[in-house]
Amino acid sequence: MSTPPTSLKPQLPLFLRPPLHSASVSDLRKWHDWAKNLASSVGTTFLDSDNGPDSDLLCRELKWLMEDAIEDHAVFSQMGIENNQTNVRLRMGIEELYNLWKQRIEERRPFQYLVGCEHWRDLVLSVQDGVLIPRPETELIVDLVADVVSNNEGLRGGLWADLGTGSGALAIGIGRILGSCGRVIATDLSPVALSVAAFNVQKYGLQDVIELRQGSWFKPLKNVEGKLAGIVSNPPYIPSDNIPRLQAEVGRHEPRLALDGGLNGMDDLLHLCNGAALMLRPGGFFIFETNGEKQCKSLAKYIENDIRGSFHSLDIVSDFAGIQRFLTGLHQ
Amino acid sequence: MLNSKLRKSCRSSTISLQNPKISYLLSSFSHKSTETPSGSCQFSHSAPENRISPSWFCSNSLPSIKNPNGFHQNPLFSSLSESKNPISASGSSSSRPNFSGFCSNSLPNIKKPNGFHQIPLFSTLSASGSSSNSLPSSKNRCQSHQSPVIWTQSHYFSTEAVVEPSTTDGLTVEGIMASNWTILDESESDWRSHAAAVAQSIHLIKKRLKWKKLVVRLDMLSMQLNKPDIWDDPVHAGKISREHGTLMGKMKEVRSFERELLEHIDMIKLAHEENDVELESESLKALHRMRKNSKEKELQAMLAGEQDPCSCYIEVQAGAGGTESMDWAAMVMQMYKLWAQQRRYKVTVVDEMPGEIAGIKRATIKVDGEYAFGYAKAEVGVHRLVRISPFDSNKRRHTSFAAVAVIPIMGDGSTRVQINESDLRIERFRAGGAGGQHVNTTESAVRIVHIPTGVTATCQNERSQHQNKASAMAVLQSRLDQLEMARQAQMNALHTQSLTDITWGSQIRSYVLHPYRMVKDLRTGYEVSDPDSVLEGDLDGFIMSYLSASLDKDVDDQ
Repeated sequence: MSTPPTSLKPQLPLFLRPPLHSASVSDLRKWHDWAKNLASSVGTTFLDSDNGPDSDLLCRELKWLMEDAIEDHAVFSQMGIENNQTNVRLRMGIEELYNLWKQRIEERRPFQYLVGCEHWRDLVLSVQDGVLIPRPETELIVDLVADVVSNNEGLRGGLWADLGTGSGALAIGIGRILGSCGRVIATDLSPVALSVAAFNVQKYGLQDVIELRQGSWFKPLKNVEGKLAGIVSNPPYIPSDNIPRLQAEVGRHEPRLALDGGLNGMDDLLHLCNGAALMLRPGGFFIFETNGEKQCKSLAKYIENDIRGSFHSLDIVSDFAGIQRFLTGLHQ
Repeated sequence: MLNSKLRKSCRSSTISLQNPKISYLLSSFSHKSTETPSGSCQFSHSAPENRISPSWFCSNSLPSIKNPNGFHQNPLFSSLSESKNPISASGSSSSRPNFSGFCSNSLPNIKKPNGFHQIPLFSTLSASGSSSNSLPSSKNRCQSHQSPVIWTQSHYFSTEAVVEPSTTDGLTVEGIMASNWTILDESESDWRSHAAAVAQSIHLIKKRLKWKKLVVRLDMLSMQLNKPDIWDDPVHAGKISREHGTLMGKMKEVRSFERELLEHIDMIKLAHEENDVELESESLKALHRMRKNSKEKELQAMLAGEQDPCSCYIEVQAGAGGTESMDWAAMVMQMYKLWAQQRRYKVTVVDEMPGEIAGIKRATIKVDGEYAFGYAKAEVGVHRLVRISPFDSNKRRHTSFAAVAVIPIMGDGSTRVQINESDLRIERFRAGGAGGQHVNTTESAVRIVHIPTGVTATCQNERSQHQNKASAMAVLQSRLDQLEMARQAQMNALHTQSLTDITWGSQIRSYVLHPYRMVKDLRTGYEVSDPDSVLEGDLDGFIMSYLSASLDKDVDDQ
C-alpha cells in the first residue's frame, strides 16, 4: 500500500547501520577530544549570530553522535583510560566521523543529517538531506488529533490526510493513534521525502495504515474528495524574504520547498484551507501549523469571511513556547 | 532473586491471614471482607478460599482447637508450601486444587491427639519455602510433641504468630542464645554450632524488624480489625488489614524459621536417643542449609521498609566552590552509575546540568531495579572530597562538597498523587525567536512546574521533547508522591528529603585523596583505604554497614 512511486533508496540512519568499521579506544578518544575542542571553540558565536547551537548543545550532540556510531556503549566508561588499544566496532569509519563533525561545525550541517535520524515524540525517524527535519512544535499536532479522535469514533475510524508529509512524522504519529479502521494518506511533492517516509512507515509497521502518494497538496487525492475525516499539515510558512536570514542549519541545508511559504508565507496555508473545504466530509477536522499569531489570525479571518460557512469551531492553539502555532477547525 | 522471594512470602502470608478469619467467623466478617471495594489483592484472594473453607475447616479443625501445636504437620504440607506461588499469583482458580488436596490429605490426622490446627498449619504454608526441606522423616515420631501454648478462640484477627515456639523439652531460640554455644566455622559438622549461628541470625533479624514494636503494632491492628464496625469505613479497614497482613507475613516467616530450627534440634536429639545415624546426618545437613540461608534472610530483614523494593532517582548537586566541586559532583554521579551497573540495575540519565568548564552543577539519574531505593537511601547526605585540585594551577589542596538525594519511585500506584494537567506549567528550554520551521535545534529540554506546590522537574537528556516531557513528568510524579507521603505519614524522612532540604552540614562521608588516601563513612566509621575502588562504584560495604548500623543499634528495639 505504501510503496512510493519512486525507486529512490533512502539512506540508512547511522544507528541502524551494521558495525563494519573499527578503531582503537585511544583513536576514538583522540577524535572525541578534537571534536569537543572544536565544539567548545564555538562558544556562543552561532547563538549570537543566528540563534544557532552553543557549545553545550554541540557537546551533547557529540555524545549522541558517539552513541549512534559506537556499537557497544560499554566503551564510554573506558574512554578515560590512556593509551587503550582495545578495538571498538563502529557503524562508520573514524575518518568519516572527523569529516562529519567538521561539516557540523564549519558548514553548520544539521546534526540530524549527520546521524540520519531525528528523535520525535516516541519515534526515531529517518531523515536525510532534502527532507525537512520534523520540529518539536509539530509533536503537538499528534496530541491534538488524539484529543479530537478520543471522543469521536467516526473520526477515529476515518480516512485522514497528511499533506506535505516530509519524513512521514505526522502520518506515522496519527496512524498510531487511529482505530483499527483508520487510514492515512500521506502526500508529498518530493520523491526523496516520499522514499524516506516509506522507510519510516515500514519501520513502524504501518504499511497497511498509511498510503503514500506523490503530488502537490490535494492533487493526488481526487478520488477521496469529500470523504476525508481529517486533514493535517505542516506546510511551508516562512515568508520568502525571511529565508536568507534563517539559522544556518535551516537556511543552508534544509529543503526550501518545505520552508518557503511565498511572499507572506501564507500561499500554501490558504491553498490548504480552500482545499480542505472541498475535501473534508461533514464534521471533518483540520489542523495546520503556522508561523505564529499573525498567520493564525489572518487565516481564521479568511475562513470566517472569504469562505464563510465552510468551517466552524475554529481554534488557535499555542505551542509550548506560547506562540500561537496551530489553527484547528471542523467542517460544516 | 532473594528479593522476589521475600515479596512472595509476604504476599502468600497475607492470604493465609484471611483463613483464620474465614474459618471462625464464617458469617459476618468474611462476608464483609469479600464485599469491600478496597481492591487490595488479599481480599480478592479471600473469596475462593471462603467458598472452600467451610467444608473442612468447620468439621475438621474445630476439635483440635484446644491443642494447637501443629508444627509436626510440616512434612505433610511441605509439598503445599512449594505450590503456594500459584495461590498468591493467580488467585482463585489455582488455589482450589491446592486446598482440596490439603483437605483430603489432612483428614487422617484428626485421629492424632494433637491433631492439626489451622493456624500453625497456615503459617507453614506461608513460610517462604523454608519448610520444604524440613523434617525428613518425622511422620511417625512427632505425636509426642506438645506445645505449652493454649490458643484462644477469641482472637479473630490475632497475633498468634507471636507465640514463642520451643522444642519438646522447652528450648527456645532465646534459650539457645543464652546457652552461648560456640559458633564454629560453617564447615564444622557440629549441630550446636549451626543451631547457635541460626539462632543468632534470627535474633538479628528480629532486631532489624523491630520485633517488639512489630508485636505491639500487630496487636493494635488486630484489635482494630476485630471491632465490629471496622468495615463501616472500607478504605480505612482495607489499609489496616493490608498492614496487618504485611506485618503478620513478616512475623510468620520468622516464626516458621524459628520453628524449623527447633524441629531440627528435636530431630537430632531424637536421633541420638534412637541411634538413628541417618536421621542425625539428615538433620545436621538441614541445619547447615538453614545456616547458609540465614545470611540471606538477615539481608532481607535489612530491607523490610515499605519503599525499599522500589526503583529510585538519585540526584547529585555540586556544593559551593565552582569547577572543583562541579567536577566532584560529576565524580559522585559517576560512582553511582558504576555502582548501579555492578548491581545490574538499569541506569538512565534524566537530567544533567553541566558545569561551565567541567563536571556538573546537578544531575538526576533513574535507577531501575529491585531494592534500588532500599540500598541507595543509605547514600543520602553530603559527600566531601579532599584533594589537590587539577583545576588549581597552584596545586593547592581543596575541599569540595556534593549533596546526594534519593527518591523512591512508587510502583503500585497506592500512593500516587493525582496530577491535574491544568495545574502544570510546561516550559521548553529553547532560544527565543520565531520557533517552528525557523529553528533547527536538538535542544528539547522540558521543565514542568506543578503550580500548586511549586515542585518542578526538568529533563533535557532525551533526544525528543516528547520523551523529555514524559521523563520530567515521571520525576515530577515521584517528587509529588514523596511530598505526599511525607505529609501523610509524617515520616521523618532523611531518606526521602529532597536536595534542597539537605543542609550542607549533614556530611555522611569523606573521600580523602591527599595527603593520605581514605574513604570514611562518618556515620558508621566504616573506612576503606582505596578511594579509587569506591569511586568506581564499590559502595556495597558502605551501604551495608550503614543499613545494619542504623537498624541494629537499638538493643531495646528487637
